[in-house]
Amino acid sequence: MKVLKIILPLLVTLLAFVSCEQNADAPAPLQGTVKVTFSNKVKGTNLVLNTGSYINNTGETYSVKKFKYYISNVSVTNIDKAATEVESYHLIDQSNAASLSFSFTANAETYSHLNFIIGVDSLRNVSGAQTGALDPLNDMFWTWNSGYIMAKLEGTSPASAQVNNKIEYHIGGFSGPNNVLKKINITLPITAQMLNIRANKTSEIFIDADVDKWFSNNISFATEPVCTTPGALAKKIADNYMNMFTVTNVVNN
Amino acid sequence: MKLKITIYLFAFVLLSIVLLEACKKSDATDNTSKTTPLTFTIPAGWPQPATNIFASNPLTEEGFQLGRKLFYDGKLSKDGNFPCASCHQQFAAFATFDHDFSHGFNNAFTTRNAPGLFNLAWMPLLHWDGGINHIEVQPLAPIAAPNEMAETIENVLAKLRTDSNYPNLFKAAYGSTEINSQKMLKALAQFMGTMVSSNSKYDKVQRGEATFTTAEQSGYTFFKSKCEACHKEPLFTDNSFRNNGLAVNSFLNDFGRKRITNLSSDSLKFKVPSLRNVELTFPYMHDGRLYSMRDVLDHYSTNLITTQPTLDPLLVSRIPMTTTDKNNMVAFLRTLTDTVFTKNPRFKQP
Repeated sequence: MKVLKIILPLLVTLLAFVSCEQNADAPAPLQGTVKVTFSNKVKGTNLVLNTGSYINNTGETYSVKKFKYYISNVSVTNIDKAATEVESYHLIDQSNAASLSFSFTANAETYSHLNFIIGVDSLRNVSGAQTGALDPLNDMFWTWNSGYIMAKLEGTSPASAQVNNKIEYHIGGFSGPNNVLKKINITLPITAQMLNIRANKTSEIFIDADVDKWFSNNISFATEPVCTTPGALAKKIADNYMNMFTVTNVVNN
Repeated sequence: MKLKITIYLFAFVLLSIVLLEACKKSDATDNTSKTTPLTFTIPAGWPQPATNIFASNPLTEEGFQLGRKLFYDGKLSKDGNFPCASCHQQFAAFATFDHDFSHGFNNAFTTRNAPGLFNLAWMPLLHWDGGINHIEVQPLAPIAAPNEMAETIENVLAKLRTDSNYPNLFKAAYGSTEINSQKMLKALAQFMGTMVSSNSKYDKVQRGEATFTTAEQSGYTFFKSKCEACHKEPLFTDNSFRNNGLAVNSFLNDFGRKRITNLSSDSLKFKVPSLRNVELTFPYMHDGRLYSMRDVLDHYSTNLITTQPTLDPLLVSRIPMTTTDKNNMVAFLRTLTDTVFTKNPRFKQP
């Protein structure tokens, strides 16, 4: 019995150490931060909501009141490595400067590609009430036909015969032939600018998004001023706006 | 000696538990509040739901009760007059009793007949056109609709946050007084999703607890041969969308599922409704145009239009019925009324 008296307290002490130990065998890889920043532009000039005046490819003047889009499932990759952001949903909103950039952790490696989806992946469109960037409060969720508005542009154009010359594009639809989800894989421009993540440092990717690209292929405010349901027009505009991104700079620290 | 060992062992076990507990990460949630888990029971012989609507919404008594209070609360509507329960009345199996269209904000009519609410856990797509793909996001539609509750989610949340009770009810359900749209919607889903109607006379007959009358049995036999293909037992719907030969209402121009899918092949297709509690959910069809069960039977036997291109293939020859068939069918359909459900105190106004 003496033995038990000695062993039990020892066991208890041991347990106290063991129970709180966090998977200590594998050394944690060195990690840094990727920061991605979007600048919304129109043909190279900064997008200015409400007061900016622009001209589309068919010569129609327009201005923009709202411009926002989802960027999700973000990762940086190289041939044999990947750093994928967890719970990766961002609403880039021109009216909210804080929304224009986001950061996530990546192992200290060199990466050649930036990958993301424009929009919200189909699974989250069918998974019930979400929160954060996906909260329906963000006015990017259709209540009549469940699903996210992946990208939204509202404004005016004298060419539009709609009430108050409105132009309004709510681009959505996550399944079927008119699925507007676009996977974007951007090759980081040149070798010297590949993304190099170093331990405890932040490296940055800067991206321009050109509103003008929405209206490529002769989208006209006279004939197509409104698109607020999934369908062929939404698909056509998504096929256009998937070309709006250009990486302008990669800054390694 | 034995006692001493027992005490030692007991102390060891107790200490182990305390230490292990201490290592669990303490989340933002308040550990002082304890929730009571609820189990969702599938009635004997019923199929498993295709997807588990509670997969990311663990059922608790506190969540259910919060959802119940929200369901009956006018605060979810712009002027306070239109809680969910204004169109979904328990005594009518949560349809609007005796209304083709329901009433909404500013003396507006709705544009479709309010369906009964029960067995929603087995319903993958909600609304007559199937536009809603998850029970948690359904309430966003009537809350925002200008002719229904006419309110914004922002305002609803603001009202709940300044209410004297809700912060505590959210805390009881979720461990924190923080109120957001996700918590509100998940609580509503707990209340609505656990409404199960499975105690009609029909169910009792299936369980061997009751017997059909001769007329009911004849109606059931007729039902099995002519109606079961779409109104599949035990839910009495196959959850499909079909055109059952109704003329287009020129006021509404409602083309049903086509609005959601953009497919002309879906024109004039509407969700096959469950026939459970059908006696209580009159008037019938997506626009409530048929007032009585007899009117519906007359529709299928003689009145339905057979010229629409998307008419369901099962209805091209209508469904011939004698007067006796119809009488028997009405007798059978009445056995689908579940007063245990319509009087269940758990679903009553709190």
